[in-house]
Amino acid sequence: MYAWVWRRLPGPWPVRALAALVLVAAIVLVLFLWGFPWFEETFGLNDVTVG
Amino acid sequence: MSRRARHARRDGGLPNRRGPVAAALGVTGELLLTAGLLVLLYVVYVLWGTGIQTGRAQDELREQTIENWSDPVDAGVAPVDPAETDLGDGYAVLRIPTLGDDWEWVVVQGVELSDLARGPGHYDDTAGPGELGNISIAGHRAGHGAPFADLDRIEVGDTVEVETAAGTWTYTIDESARIIEPTDTWVVDPVPGQGAGAEPTERRITLTTCHPRYGSSQRMYVSGVLTAGEEV
Repeated sequence: MYAWVWRRLPGPWPVRALAALVLVAAIVLVLFLWGFPWFEETFGLNDVTVG
Repeated sequence: MSRRARHARRDGGLPNRRGPVAAALGVTGELLLTAGLLVLLYVVYVLWGTGIQTGRAQDELREQTIENWSDPVDAGVAPVDPAETDLGDGYAVLRIPTLGDDWEWVVVQGVELSDLARGPGHYDDTAGPGELGNISIAGHRAGHGAPFADLDRIEVGDTVEVETAAGTWTYTIDESARIIEPTDTWVVDPVPGQGAGAEPTERRITLTTCHPRYGSSQRMYVSGVLTAGEEV
């Protein structure tokens, strides 16, 4: 899976490494801004109210 | 696969010769690693990421709320009536000296998760500060700045201050932290334990949060009674 992505990134290895970092950062950002908030709300993992 | 074949594949020379079982195991391993990373990332999100959002929201609320209160005319807005605060907007300032001299949070109106992500939230169907009844406020105990992280440290006799544009009210705690179930809505009744219809004779405050700290299978609350400030 990861090797597959690596093989599809273009350019020499420093460029690939940079592209991989950007890719990881983008995924983390999407998770922090939308993925995790959705997860938290949907499964009520952090409820503090009664009712 | 021979050592040479592996080398050759890494150089991109030969096609992948792994058998289907090995390939499936490889993918499974990577998926498990990914799942582990996701769980770790989620912990980072809860303990740190959510705090950044909440910190920003509090800064914004401080500007919008407190500065407008001190001089509404200068700020070009009408003096705020707490009861008419929109959901998610600054409702009051909460201070609990027991938790630190600089422990000060802007309470927002409403207790939806989106409100609580900005700071402690006022159950919008409960009393206002200084009013007969039971002003009830919920706050996170882990993540989102964890305003009520140390709610269990509050003891009988400690004070809780609520400030709005109209004044400051001091409540004195008479029930320290108790564990309840998520369905125990009676703690935020106008007269705790006597149903929504009961006629209040006391001016009370109730703070709720989750229990255990890093879970939400139960709730915890502390409660107090008005001891200083104009009765409304």
